[in-house]
Formats: sequence, structure tokens, C-alpha cells
Amino acid sequence: MKKFCKIYLPFASNELKRQMSYKGAFYLFILVSLFGSFINYYLWMAIYGSSGKATIGNLTKNEMVIYVFMVYVTSSIVTITLADWVSEDVVKGSVAMNLIKPIDYRLSLMWRASGQMVYRFFVPGIFVWIGMEIYKVKALGMEVVSPVTALLYVVSSFLSFLLYLLFDFCFGMVAFFTTYIFGMLMAKEAMLSFLMGQLIPLSMFPSVAQKVFDFLPFSSMVYTPVMIYLGKYSGSELAFVMGRQVAWVIFLYLLGSLIWKKVTKRLVVLGG
Amino acid sequence: MIEVKNISKSFISPKKYPGLKGTIKGLFSNEKVEKVAVNDISFSIGEGEIVGYIGSNGAGKSTTIKMMTGIMVPTSGSCLVNGVDPCKKRNENAKNIGVVFGQRTQLWWDLPLSESFTILKEIYDVSDEAYEERMEFLNKVLELNEFFDKPVRTLSLGQRMRADLGAALLHNPKVLYLDEPTIGLDLVVKENIREAIKEINEKYKTTVILTTHDIGDIEELCRRIIIIDKGTKIYDGTLEHLKEIYGTKRSISVEVRQYDKVKDIAFDELLQVEKDAYETEYDGEKSVFTISFDKRKIKVPQILSILMERVDVKDVRIEETQLEEIVKQIYLEQKEQAVEELEAAANE
Amino acid sequence: MHTVKRYSRLYRVLITQFFKGIMQSKVDFLMGLLGFFLTQFLGIAFLYLVFQQIPELSGWTFKQLVFIYGFAQIPRGLDHLFTDNIWMVAWRLVVSGDFDRYMLRPMNVFFQVIAEKLQPDALGELLVGSILIVMSLRDGIMIVDGFHIAMFVISILAGAVIYTAIKLFFASIAFWVKVSGPFLSTAYELSNFAKYPTEIYAKGIRFVITWIIPFAFVAYLPAGFFLKESVSVSVIGIECILAVVFMAISYVTFYIGIGRYESAGN
Repeated sequence: MKKFCKIYLPFASNELKRQMSYKGAFYLFILVSLFGSFINYYLWMAIYGSSGKATIGNLTKNEMVIYVFMVYVTSSIVTITLADWVSEDVVKGSVAMNLIKPIDYRLSLMWRASGQMVYRFFVPGIFVWIGMEIYKVKALGMEVVSPVTALLYVVSSFLSFLLYLLFDFCFGMVAFFTTYIFGMLMAKEAMLSFLMGQLIPLSMFPSVAQKVFDFLPFSSMVYTPVMIYLGKYSGSELAFVMGRQVAWVIFLYLLGSLIWKKVTKRLVVLGG
Repeated sequence: MIEVKNISKSFISPKKYPGLKGTIKGLFSNEKVEKVAVNDISFSIGEGEIVGYIGSNGAGKSTTIKMMTGIMVPTSGSCLVNGVDPCKKRNENAKNIGVVFGQRTQLWWDLPLSESFTILKEIYDVSDEAYEERMEFLNKVLELNEFFDKPVRTLSLGQRMRADLGAALLHNPKVLYLDEPTIGLDLVVKENIREAIKEINEKYKTTVILTTHDIGDIEELCRRIIIIDKGTKIYDGTLEHLKEIYGTKRSISVEVRQYDKVKDIAFDELLQVEKDAYETEYDGEKSVFTISFDKRKIKVPQILSILMERVDVKDVRIEETQLEEIVKQIYLEQKEQAVEELEAAANE
Repeated sequence: MHTVKRYSRLYRVLITQFFKGIMQSKVDFLMGLLGFFLTQFLGIAFLYLVFQQIPELSGWTFKQLVFIYGFAQIPRGLDHLFTDNIWMVAWRLVVSGDFDRYMLRPMNVFFQVIAEKLQPDALGELLVGSILIVMSLRDGIMIVDGFHIAMFVISILAGAVIYTAIKLFFASIAFWVKVSGPFLSTAYELSNFAKYPTEIYAKGIRFVITWIIPFAFVAYLPAGFFLKESVSVSVIGIECILAVVFMAISYVTFYIGIGRYESAGN
């Protein structure tokens, strides 16, 4: 275990250092990424204003405020893209190098990602979260989130983080088969922001579409933790959605291993 | 052709602290570090000269070249290339110069070499006739036609270097800057590149400035060398002069049949010098006797005649001090000097 | 005159190269196009889902917003097609020292940067934009006369210039901080939000996207001129003035930045 950490921890700490080294970008990133969420917030406020309804897609106006900002917090720690690292490694031909070393390529990527996750959790994830809680209590007159809910949310978010990484690893493997991954990354990002519920709560989709989402891993990535945070699940339902996250993590882990085996075989035959 | 006057360049960068803790600290600190890369360097280079610009890594070679090519603006001092200030009139200067950076290609990675040349022809506004003529010459010395239709990314390092050299010469520049032109190449290719540079220099009177770590490049190409260390010029003169001053050691190796006879020769008496003026050595396996000495005290022919008279010599080899060692020696002296100065300053 | 000829001849060579490149990698090109179509389609789907809940948003109907959406794609696509290489300045060329090569050639540096690459992905944006505008024409929600058509063309060009200016400005920061990609992407991201009526935002935000990073003038504001008789043509005039002013600021910043360029290896 100690040795394991010694091998893989540098991937995380290096990434953390790399992220921090963009000093100028650091401050601006906080400002502008929040700016984006505020615009989202105003859009929803206008939509609630125009509709005259109390709830849209089962969310009240106040819940929507929480939804918008918690989606921001959740996605900032969940959506860490391995796929472009993979494609970068493929282009540079350094994947083959990784095969020589006694290191699990996927694990090294995931550790690297966890370095980024830690960074994003503090900058500015947790501050937005706290800020939102203060706003919730002071301005919206709601109660502060219960520790149990917060804990469940953190656990669920961590599962989402794993889930997203494992999915992205499978996706990144596409880089081995096409020289053109940029367009696909873009398509993926757009699709996911939709399917994960980043753009719009999944409960606003027609019911047929929602049925389909139940069978896809994406709703478990952002929508599930945020809905847990909003207290929309309880009892067996809560157990079910979190169990589903675990199941997806296991499934995508196995799928990733399988694809990786295929890819390395190809690498050995064709050369990296 | 090139006039460099008191040119200096310093870089200012945020202070870095080691480790993860340091990174966090660095985030909140605003300390700056100033690093002087080039410190008050002056020289002038005439038309048709080939000058070796040498120094250890980080000595400021590339920075000087970058200021002369107009990539970087000097912090102070001035520089004129063919009467043009490269920083003030970048375009005009660019027409006069050709540049090859050994580690980085100027060509379009994904395009066939022929297309790169077509684009360069437009960029440098080379007329059709001039283009034909140049290509004929470049094909002759660099044999570009072997891979002219291949994309640049598929070329071998040697081919790429030939291509880059060709590209830098397409517009017949008056000055050619070569930054490590033979780095990573095998001996044959190195030789070809050197030959090509020589030919270009002779035919077009192109002024060549060359930075390199390869002593072979310098010995074969440069009559004059400039050595810099830690941003300061420490030598500027001919190669011969440099060897004259620093390269005073000679050694003669002879292959002999009868070692006993050689052993008994009393060089000190015969030459009328002290015993420690020379050193002898014998390799029994190869039957090679070596004697090394300072050429200011003992002359090569003296030794040779003594040997020839007394023993049966099968083979003779005379060696000078390698340039590489000379350069090393200069750096060392610089360091010692600096240390002495520091000590002197400390004592005061 | 000679210079203009030389520049256009060079550009022609590069464009020929661009088309050859597309033909060589048809699959890649189609992938990119598909990616873009998907992104755009989902954007419309988002609007559609929102309008399932409300009849109109700050006085705009679904169809009108679809027009604004499509109209926004065209200047964005034009800029994307011609000046995509600016991104490389922000992310890579300055920090790696590859920017050297532009400094070594006797041509305008900005021209060299943008001429080096045409981005085929942009055809997706242009296509989607055109399709949505044709749909709007069919629905008869646009005002169509000679004057409006002329203004349409001018507005699109000015919009593209505004995009380029914003990109160039944030890319130029790389000369100070080495990598300005994060700055540029965040600024560029803002353009997505200027697709909605600016009335929905708080005053401060509205001010920023109208005057500081004026994406509102690329899409939403001029689009109103083609949809509502009540909107004055002066909006297009202001758009043009902004385009010129911002481009001038960016260009000067870019050139000041070049003077500070430190290359790599230090």
C-alpha cells in the first residue's frame, strides 16, 4: 500500500502543482467561472418570471437557485477530462512508453485527475458551496443543509468523480483509432452537459426521455448528487440511486480494462 | 555586416519555491527574480566570415542569437545587422537573414517539403528565376530532391536538418544563423551539413554565425570563435590564436619494436631540459611509447630526430591538445578568476 | 499594390493546402462537423425544452430566439474559420517558443498567425447558422428588404471582427503570462451567454457583455434589428464602431506583447 502511494501519489501532486503554477489564471478563473453560473441563474430567474408557475420540472424557484450553483460545484470536481490527456499521449507516442514501465496507465491518469479534483474542490468549489449556503439562509430564508445530506452528497459526488473518469478513459481510447479526437471531445462535452443535467434539470425532459436516462450512466454523474443535496431522494430511493452509481463504476471499470487490453494488443502489433 | 554594441538581456520571472508547499506560497507572493542572460556583449562580424559562437548550456548563446534575429528585444545596448536594427525593422531584417534552430523546425510539419518551399517562396518574395537557380544549387549541395515530396513530419532528423537549411537559404540571405545545426546527427550527415555550409559561404559570401556544442563543427568551419560564459564574452579571436595560447601541450606516440632502447634514452640530457619538462608512458601490449611535453620548451622535430636516430620506428602520431579541452580550460580559469575575485572582495 | 498581391498569393497557396488537407482526412473532417452539429442541435433543444414551460422570454418567442441563435453562429463561424490559430498563441506558441518562426519572416506577424490555419470545423457553425436563418426566412419572422440585407452582411462582418478582437486581446496576454489559454477560453465562453436577451441579467452583467466583452453586439442586439421594426439601425452602427475600436486595442496590445516576447528556454 505504501509503495502503491509512492508510485502514484506524484501523479496527483504534480498535477496539483501544474494547476497552481498558472498564477495569473488562478484569480481570473474564479471570477469568470462564477460569472458563467450567475448568467445561468439569471436565465432561470427570467424563465420562472415569465412562466408564472411555482415549480418547473418539480423544482421551485429557490430549489433552482441551489440547483444551478450545486451543479457548478459538482461539475467542477466531477468533470475532469482524461480523454485529452490520453489523446495527447497518443499523439506524442508516450503511451507505448507507459507500457514499458511497471505502472498501470489508467491508474496513473486517475491519480493525476485526483490532483486536479483536489485543486478544483478548493478553487473555488468549496467557496461557492459555502457562499450558496449563506445566500440560501440569509436571502432565501431556507434552512442550512443537514450534515447527513452534505455527507451523502460528498460520497455521491466522489462516486460521480470515479464514474466520470472511468467513462472518460473508455472514451479517450477512441484516440487510438482516430487521429481526430477534437471534434469528438466537443461532441462529448455537449452531449454530456445535456445528459448529466448540467444545462437543464433532467426532470424537465419529456417522460420518455427520462426513462431512457435511467438506463444511461450520465444522469448518475451530476444530476444524482445534486438531487441528493436537494433532498429529493429518501429511504430506498436514495439507496437505489447511489447503488446505481456504484454499479456503473464497476461496469465502466471492467469495460475500461477490456478496451485497454484490446488497445495494448493493437499497440504491440502496430507500434505506438 | 553585424555590429553588436554593449548588448544585454535580463529576464524577470516570479520567484519559485520548491515543493508543494512552495507552490502554494508562490501563489500569494509577488517576489521577482531577475536573471541576466546576456551581459554587455560587443563584437563585430564582417561579410563572409564564419564565426563559432560557443559557451556552455545557459551561457546566453541562444539569447544573443535571438536578439540579432529580432525575436527578442535587448534590455539595453544595440545591434545592427547589415545596417538594420532587427528589433526596429523586423521585416527588413528578416529578408536579410536565414535561421536554423537545430531543435525546432521552421517548416510546416504536415505539409510536403515542396509545399513548404512554395510558401516560403511567397513569403520571401523570391522571383521564379531566382527560385529555380537557388533550388538547383540547394539540390546539389543538400540533395533535397531525395525527399522533396514527403511531408516534413516523416523526414529523418538528418533530412529535416538539410530541409531546414535549404529553407533558410532559399531567399539568399546575407547572414545565416545556425543554432546547433548538427545536434543529434550521425557522422556522415554532420559531414554533409558542414560541407554544405562551407560551399554556401564560399559561393555566396554568406556570413555564418554558428552556435554549437560540437567541437568538430568549429574546427572544420570556423576561423574565428567567440566564447561566452554566464552571459559575458570571454574570448574573441581566431581558432589558431586560441590554440596558440591555451593549446601548448603536444604528445608524440611512436610504435617501436625495441622498448629497452627507448627506455634508455635520456631526453633531459639530450634536450638540456629539466626531467619534469616531459612525461613518458609505455603501452606494452601495443608497443607504443608516448612522450608529452610543452611545445614552448621542446620542439617536435627535436624529439622526432632523437627517436629516429636511436630506434626502429614503425609508426608515429603527433597530437595537439583537443579544442574541447581548451574550452574546458578557459571555463575553469574563468571560474577560478571569479572565485579569486570573490575571495579578494571578501578579504577586504 | 505589390504587397497586397504578395499577401493574397500566399493566402491562396495556404487555402489550397487547406482543401487538400480536408480531402486527405475526410473522415476526420466529417467527425468534426458531426461534433459541431450535435453541439448546435443540443443548444436548440435546450431552448425548446425551456419554451415548453413558458410562452415567451422577456418578450421574445421561441422562433425569434432560434433566429438569434442561428444568426450568432455566422460571425462566430467566420472568425473560427479564419483565425483559429490565435488559440495556439494563447496556449502553446508563446510558451514553447514556436512563436519564433513568425518573428523570423518578413511578413506581418498577425497575418502569419491567422494564415497558418483554416479551421474546417467552422463550416459546421456556418452551415447550422445558415440553416436556421433559412428556417427563419421561411417562417417569415425576419424583415427582408435591400437595406436590411446590406446591414445583415455588414453586421456579420463586424461581428466576426469583434470575435477576432476579443480572441486576439486575450491571446496577447500570453506575452506577459506565457500561457493565456485559460483567460481566452473563459472570455470566449461568455459568448454562449450573450445568445439570450440581455434584459434578463442584472445591470452590471449586462454592462459587461455589452461594452467590456461585447458579445451582445455580435448576436442578440443586432439580431433585434432584423426581427423588430422598432429597433433602430444605429445598433448596427455601434456594432461597427465597437468592432473597429476593439480590434485597434487588441492589435496594439498584440504588438506591445511582441516587443516583450521572451522566446523559450529561459
